Amino acid sequence: MSKLLSEQDLQKTVAELPDEMTPQRDLWAGIERAIQTKQQDKLSFDSPKKAAFISTAWAASLVVAVLVTWFSFSPQLADKSVNLAKQDHSPLNLVMAMQENFKQTKQTMLVSFGQPKVSELPKEIQEELSKLSSAQTTIEKALTEDPSNNDLLNLLRWTQKKELDLLSQLYSPKWQSI
Amino acid sequence: MDNPKVINIKSWTDSQLTTSPEIAEEQAIICRAQQGDQQAFYQLYQKYHRKVYAICWRMLADKDSAEDVCQEVFVQLWQKISNFRGDSKFSTWLHSVTSNIVLGHLRKHKNWLQRIFSIEDQTIQDVAVEMEDTIELTALDTQIARLPERARLVFVLFAVEGYRHEEIAKMLDMAVGTSKAQYHRAKSLLREWVEI
Repeated sequence: MSKLLSEQDLQKTVAELPDEMTPQRDLWAGIERAIQTKQQDKLSFDSPKKAAFISTAWAASLVVAVLVTWFSFSPQLADKSVNLAKQDHSPLNLVMAMQENFKQTKQTMLVSFGQPKVSELPKEIQEELSKLSSAQTTIEKALTEDPSNNDLLNLLRWTQKKELDLLSQLYSPKWQSI
Repeated sequence: MDNPKVINIKSWTDSQLTTSPEIAEEQAIICRAQQGDQQAFYQLYQKYHRKVYAICWRMLADKDSAEDVCQEVFVQLWQKISNFRGDSKFSTWLHSVTSNIVLGHLRKHKNWLQRIFSIEDQTIQDVAVEMEDTIELTALDTQIARLPERARLVFVLFAVEGYRHEEIAKMLDMAVGTSKAQYHRAKSLLREWVEI
């Protein structure tokens, strides 16, 4: 019958356990591969510009879809001449004020960024800005015909904000957090 | 033996980082790795992978799983290293990251039979023999690998890694009393198995 290890001996043996062991295969190659794959994924999906572009693209597409639906099915647009005749001018003033405010904010923002040339931006982002601008024009046009429509007002506000956000993300100085 | 501190737990760099130039150098390497410098990260890997592997091996008692999880630790470390704020030693932090990843791996890969029939308390003597063929083990490590999973985890975390029973209970989702009981069970088995 073998002798039972004493409590003290066990304690001593545990204290003497090596704190390092060497793996048999080279683990770094796999780690390096995984890191590089993750980095590439990060570059292609997490870049702020790319993220801003993707979200704006979705937003613009949504706006276009809503507008197409709006113009296709809205009964109010059918007799727009009647609406034009009846419209109250105060909501139109609100739309104009929103447009003016947006233009001023955008101009101030561009000045603060040193008046960057939009033509120097990547083509896909130029297209996105153009889509947003086109969406705004369409909404504004719709608002001249139905200036009290809250949904349209919200859409206009939303597209304006999206454009300002995109400009801000494109031109703001990049701060690297450590 | 009930107090882990008595056993002089293996805090990885307590003995190594006693001088400030070493600490400063390591801090600089960590800082570079946090900024995405892969070369610096490789230096950390070179310094710590054997220690990480030892923890993985002792907790998993399986060479292949230990290698896979060791890789996983460093891949996750690359992503999480910016979370290291320097409140504790890097070695201590990495130690804790490693233990948690190993436990996560065990939870994820637990055999469905073990889940259904709760047969986790079976001993795994064959595995130890298989590992002995490929890795040079101390007599105690060979026997630790034979312990039933829960007893092994508690023993390694408490006696080797220096966690308290309260911490282990939380990590393993068990009562503090269960952790203590598993530790005593492991200790009794090892005292019986390890030859002097």
